[in-house]
Amino acid sequence: MYKNSTYCYSYRGMSLILRNAQHAVPLYRAHLRFSLDIARSCLKVKNFDLGIICVNNARIQHINRVYRGQDSVTDVLSFPFHEDLNPSLLPIPATPDEYNLGDIYLGVAFIYEQCQKTQEDYRSILTITAVHGLCHLLGHKHNNPEKWKQQMFEKETEILNEINRVTGSKLKPLSTNHY
Amino acid sequence: MFSTLSRALFSATRVAAVRPQQLLSSLSAGRSFSRSLWLVQGNPALRQTFLHPQRGFPAVSCGCGGLHTEGDKAFAEFLKDEIKEEKKIQKHKNLPKMSGGWELQVNGTEAKLVREISGEKVTVTFNTNNSIPPSFNEEAQEGQKAEENEPELMSTPNFVIEVTKMDTNQTLVLDCHYPEDEIAHGEEEEESDIFTIREVSFQPTGQTEWKENSYTLNTDSLDWALYDHLMDFLADRGVDNTFADELVELSTALEHHEYIKFLENLKDFVKC
Repeated sequence: MYKNSTYCYSYRGMSLILRNAQHAVPLYRAHLRFSLDIARSCLKVKNFDLGIICVNNARIQHINRVYRGQDSVTDVLSFPFHEDLNPSLLPIPATPDEYNLGDIYLGVAFIYEQCQKTQEDYRSILTITAVHGLCHLLGHKHNNPEKWKQQMFEKETEILNEINRVTGSKLKPLSTNHY
Repeated sequence: MFSTLSRALFSATRVAAVRPQQLLSSLSAGRSFSRSLWLVQGNPALRQTFLHPQRGFPAVSCGCGGLHTEGDKAFAEFLKDEIKEEKKIQKHKNLPKMSGGWELQVNGTEAKLVREISGEKVTVTFNTNNSIPPSFNEEAQEGQKAEENEPELMSTPNFVIEVTKMDTNQTLVLDCHYPEDEIAHGEEEEESDIFTIREVSFQPTGQTEWKENSYTLNTDSLDWALYDHLMDFLADRGVDNTFADELVELSTALEHHEYIKFLENLKDFVKC
């Protein structure tokens, strides 16, 4: 299916839990999982649990309002298990239960709508957005242009280049157009 | 021995002669023994106490030969009101349509949705019996009416998907469930898949009997990637979250429809 694939399904490691809790737009689960597994390997966090929950506009807006005080629809919200991480260091779990990165909520309906407007490939943007959310779970931030350039953009580029190598895609970081 | 028996009978007769007179003290004294006994048999008060249970014979007589009691009459009246109320709250007078070109076949509580696409036939079968999960109402808040806390009854049946490839006549069967409600309704978090695949197996095409010696894959401990491929496989054939949501609507409507029909049959069965 993918060229240069060295990623074997038989290695389960810790779980990437994927939930599709919406019916607004289609979701290609296997493709998203495969890309995120590559990302987890690249970040050396395959032994950590990770939750990906795909929700509709109403749900992501609700979560955004409750947890960020912003009453608006958005593309991704990340809830790290380990807070205030140094992005250059991996989490150091004290117990087996702490082998957990946290949860990423993907506003898939919003992403789909945005792709319709910008004529971008929905599957690609979904992957890129999920990778962006994963970087947030590991402490990467983009509060200002410097931090964005030093941290998120470089890390996202590294991950997406690896995904591109395996899958033949041409993915670019989400943060590209932020600054 | 015979003389002893006769003596015993004579004594019993004397006792019997005395007892009725005590019970019938309101009647005129001095009547003969035999008349007293005749009067004892004809007394309706005594007859109920000694010979019949307390509920007595049916009070409603229709001449049809069936048993119809006052309780049956009350039951039938209750059912009449119940049917009226159920019809009032019936959301769908006709069964709702599924999007995606599914053909519906209904046989009592069992329904089949069939769709043919590019050399494949997809059949989804479900039964509305036992399809409404128990709901546990939280305690009513102070000042809140009990009715406001009642959740809407939803039918979430298990459903079986059969995908048949016409060219090879092979059928892949997937047993699917709706996850049990973990959280209450409303603004509470809803983060589970709308439906899950529980078991997968190849089965003989067109046969209702389950082939026990066909390998059945249980998804409880299945590799997640394989599971996602199976979900994508179903989504490509029209069985996705939209389908699952519409199936709940359809099943709920069918279940309610069958419930009302059952109440009507029960009323006809019970009433005079």
